[in-house]
Formats: sequence, C-alpha cells, structure tokens
Amino acid sequence: MEVTATNFLNSSYVLLFGKGAILLILIFYAIFSLIIIRQVDLMSKTLITNLSPIVKAFAILHAGFAIGLIILTWGIL
Amino acid sequence: MFPAYAEYPQKCRFEGQDPNEKILLLLRAHPITNLSWILASIIVFFVPLLVPRLALFLGFNLAFLPQTFQLILLIINYLLVLIIVYEGFLYWYFNVTLITNEKVVDIDFAQLLYKGVDLAPLTKIEETDSVTAGIIGTIFNFGNVKVQTAGANVAIEMKNIPKPSLVADLILDLAGKPHEHILGVPKV
Repeated sequence: MEVTATNFLNSSYVLLFGKGAILLILIFYAIFSLIIIRQVDLMSKTLITNLSPIVKAFAILHAGFAIGLIILTWGIL
Repeated sequence: MFPAYAEYPQKCRFEGQDPNEKILLLLRAHPITNLSWILASIIVFFVPLLVPRLALFLGFNLAFLPQTFQLILLIINYLLVLIIVYEGFLYWYFNVTLITNEKVVDIDFAQLLYKGVDLAPLTKIEETDSVTAGIIGTIFNFGNVKVQTAGANVAIEMKNIPKPSLVADLILDLAGKPHEHILGVPKV
C-alpha cells in the first residue's frame, strides 16, 4: 500500500498525538485562565470601580470556558 | 465608560485611600495605544479563512484533517482572539495613575504576575517632566510624564497619557497649592 501524506496524517497514532498536543495546550490555557482570575481579583481590590465585578465575572466565565473546552476536546477527539 | 482622562471620577476608589482623600484625576494610556492588540486580534480572527487558501496555494489540502480536529482548532483560534482582546483590555484598564489631593498613585499591571503600586506624596514632589513624541503622539496629544520626588531619581512615570503637559503642570501646581482651585470648577 502506498503511503501518502493524507493516510499518514489519518493514522491513529498521529491523531492520538494531535489529541494529546491539543489537550496539553488546553490544560496550560486553563491554568493561565485561573491565574487571570487571581490577578484580576487582586487588581480589582487595588482599583475599585463599578466595572470591577463585571471584569471579575468575565475572568471566571473565561476560566469555565477553558476548562469546559478540555472536557469537550477529550470527548470528541 | 472607560475614560483615559477623567477629572473627579465617580465611583472610583483605590486600596489604601484615606477617608478624606479625594481623587482629582484618573489617567490611563490614550485609547489609541490599544490599536496594536486590536489589529493583532483582527488578524488572528481571519486566520481560519486565510490558512486553507494559503495551504491550497502552496499545494496542500487541509480537507484530510478530521472534522472534529478542524472544529477544535477553530475554537482554539477564537480562544486566542479572546485572550488577546481580554489581556489587552486588562493591561490598559488596570494601568492607572490617580492624582488625589494628597498623593500621586501609580498602579502598574505590566505583566500577568506583576502588580506594582507607587505612591508619591504631593508635598515631596520636586519636578515634573512631560514628553510628547512621534507622529501619533503629536496628533492625538499623548505622551509620558515623569514625576521626581525628593530622594529619588524618577519616582513615578506615566506612559502614553492624554494631555501630558497639562498633567505635568497640574501635579506641580497641586504640590504647591490647595487642590480646589486647580481643576476648573471647585468641588466640595
């Protein structure tokens, strides 16, 4: 059987490696999003405005989305 | 909603504000300085449209990638757009200089794991310098202001703030005069 670029990239090992790489990136991203929550919380205590709760809520939503994406990726890839 | 130059800002306080301390001026970098991350986010936003065409042009066909992989890569791309916008906004929003009737407060959020707060009492301020440089800075009237205090070379540096010469003059005036008559109409 002739090995072409298409069937090489469709092989299960390559796809498994791709899945692992994507999951690793998403895990780092989720950690990063949790750091953002901490930092936004700290900065919101330093500079208190009426926008602070919205910025904090967005940081939490963002982290939730990042964690949710890990689960989604784990499930569908 | 997001002022870069606000006199007597309402509903704004800072950590360690004294009961009788009033914020006279709130300063952030001029909004035009956000253009770099706005442009970056626009470019990244259109990457999913451009990459398949570029790949086809170079002789590759990305259609062999499974649909699920394509979907996840698309989501990651828009996650990248989201983080560029959100981080750009956070850096701009939390990099603030506050001028109160007692001191100059410089809040720095230069990196994600860095928070710096510089305080300079008005009574200790000896000199202020303002610089407006570059085409964009001259057109939009923004620049840097350095505040020198006794015993330090440069205590506080405000970057890319609107009306730098006015702010430098105002700080120096506040250092020597009662604040009520500096910013136009007196406030109680």
